[in-house]
Amino acid sequence: MKKIKILHMYADMLDLYGDSGNMEIISYRCRMRGIECIADTYSAGDDMPDFSSYDLIYIGGGADLEQQHISDDLLRCREGIKKAYENGTFLFLICGGYQLMGKYYRDADGNEIKGLGLFDYYTVAPSSRRMRCIGNIVVRTKFTGKTVDVVGFENHGGQTHDVETPFGEVRYGNGNCSKSRHEGYFGRNVIATYLHGPMLAKNPEISDYIISYCINRNNSEEIKLSKLDDRLENDCRQVMLDRLIK
Amino acid sequence: MNRLLILIGKIIVKFLRLMGRNAGNLPGIVLWHLTGGKCCKMFKIDCPIIAVTGTNGKTSVTNCIAQLFRQSGKKIIINREGNNLDTGICSLLLRHCDMSGKVNADMLILETDESHVPVVYSQQKLDTLVVLNFFRDQLDRNGEMETLIQKINSFCKTFGGNLILNGDDPNTARLGKANPGNKNVKYFHAQPYAFATQKIFEASEGRFCPFCGQPLEYEYYQYSHIGKFLCRGCGFGDYSPYITAENIDLEKHTFYADGHKYTPKLNSIYNIYNMTAVAGVAKLYNIEQSIADRVISSYTVKNGRMENFMLGDRKATLNLAKNPVGANMTLRVMNEMKGEKELLFVLNDNVADGLDVSWIWDINFSIFERVTRVITSGTRAYDIAVRIKCSGYDADKIIVRPDLGSAVKELAKTEGRKFVIANYTAVQPTRAALKKYSSEVSNEKN
Repeated sequence: MKKIKILHMYADMLDLYGDSGNMEIISYRCRMRGIECIADTYSAGDDMPDFSSYDLIYIGGGADLEQQHISDDLLRCREGIKKAYENGTFLFLICGGYQLMGKYYRDADGNEIKGLGLFDYYTVAPSSRRMRCIGNIVVRTKFTGKTVDVVGFENHGGQTHDVETPFGEVRYGNGNCSKSRHEGYFGRNVIATYLHGPMLAKNPEISDYIISYCINRNNSEEIKLSKLDDRLENDCRQVMLDRLIK
Repeated sequence: MNRLLILIGKIIVKFLRLMGRNAGNLPGIVLWHLTGGKCCKMFKIDCPIIAVTGTNGKTSVTNCIAQLFRQSGKKIIINREGNNLDTGICSLLLRHCDMSGKVNADMLILETDESHVPVVYSQQKLDTLVVLNFFRDQLDRNGEMETLIQKINSFCKTFGGNLILNGDDPNTARLGKANPGNKNVKYFHAQPYAFATQKIFEASEGRFCPFCGQPLEYEYYQYSHIGKFLCRGCGFGDYSPYITAENIDLEKHTFYADGHKYTPKLNSIYNIYNMTAVAGVAKLYNIEQSIADRVISSYTVKNGRMENFMLGDRKATLNLAKNPVGANMTLRVMNEMKGEKELLFVLNDNVADGLDVSWIWDINFSIFERVTRVITSGTRAYDIAVRIKCSGYDADKIIVRPDLGSAVKELAKTEGRKFVIANYTAVQPTRAALKKYSSEVSNEKN
């Protein structure tokens, strides 16, 4: 039986706007295909896990306070996560998780939280807490081999700069910075994004991209995922696209 | 200057009234601009003010407290649901003051939006603040919940009046430590009810001690993160309650507080908490016991909070859910009921709902028992359908009907018990649709 192993980090602290739903969706889509899905959780202070033994590492978003709470612990995991990433473990990062993999995050009060520096971007929150990028967002992505308009909800103060390979192009909403052209960060085995909603709810292609990567990463011959009935998901996305994009 | 402002405000009220509008908020908005944001300051209020705030239950508790004083023969002023921001309260006071701005009443009972507590009560002296709970609700309007708690916490640092706090919610109980000099901090508390659990049942926040960061230990959870908690690190949670609900029996609709038996009409654990807060206020203000009994035992609501409708011979119960906690409560009530049932979930994403609907992913649908069909409706009908599907519920049993009228028709098609959950802006249209169907069916019969 095919299986994927997931490490959900800081599920108890970083879980904003339905972010944990992403894990529910991945495991649902695996279950429907008979793929075994083992999901472990890691909390601050737990014994150091063997990061490289996982196919997928997932980190959600949190409020500033929670992000401060976990940042030291995350730095403690730096080498493990870095090695896993280099060995091909997929990183799926939302909002705070996205920010903390960059060089640093500077909050509204000017406090700098050191990031893991896996990637070259950095994030600065405006000094006014009222200035936030909030609302529905549509991001056009092409990396799955098809053009997919990903629909989600963004709510972030932080402005992320110096992203060389974004997740996609903004068609509606803000993206990495206020009114910016691009959203998120993308690499061969990383998707990092501000999209909540949860992000995967209306975007089954993205879920399947991640699942497919995970089950195939150690295979010489590619296993194709069986098709699922995604009518509800597709209709759900279409309603929002019709509303947001004239 | 004050007199001029009052005059302007009163003219606007008069004008709106003549146009057939209720003047609930607009006069306050105008005065807010004229006063540079201090629209509540110009009133002269000599009587005590009681404010009620928190995520869930404000309206119920405010109404009950008002009844306590009204039945004690006091002249009270109370704001209606929805007008609980500074501008709404200003509009209310404009209608009740004389030309000098003097408000004539024995007592003001004001439901106050969480984010507006510091705004309003930096302008007017507050006698008692009742804080019911803090849950994730409309996060995108308020920024993040921690910011919201911080705002009220800074207000509490200099507040010396009565502070009645839910001692079983770490998010509210922490406010009791904001001003160590305040001797008037009082906690209400409830002993475990039949469905209390050892483990947390629903997604929630506030799992860590806000003072020392250690995980909070719970003796029991009543619902969400509400329960008997304690921090082993710094002792947060170790307080002696002012009033405690004991021997809670939801089947018999009874609970005891201070040795006295109460028989509330609404039998949910969150109503018990609300009523315990009300009993606490009654105790504080020495309300006659017979009046407190009458208020607590007769309080019921007809505004989509566990409201019943008959769709022909099929009973439907509608409950408002503005957040996961509200929705989870309804699912619990459904599960506590034997037999098969169907659910209609109406989800909107209008501005007042907070635009973002991701909170539905914090609803624990995996507990569904004997739910034979789900119908979804509202502007985000598909979002709730996808959410329920991904919880593992059979997609073939989910029917999406964005139009409310056809959703209610679909619901009434089959026999059996029905439940309806609707979020904030969905609840009134849903009531209307249920009523319409209900009267059409009974007319056909006649």
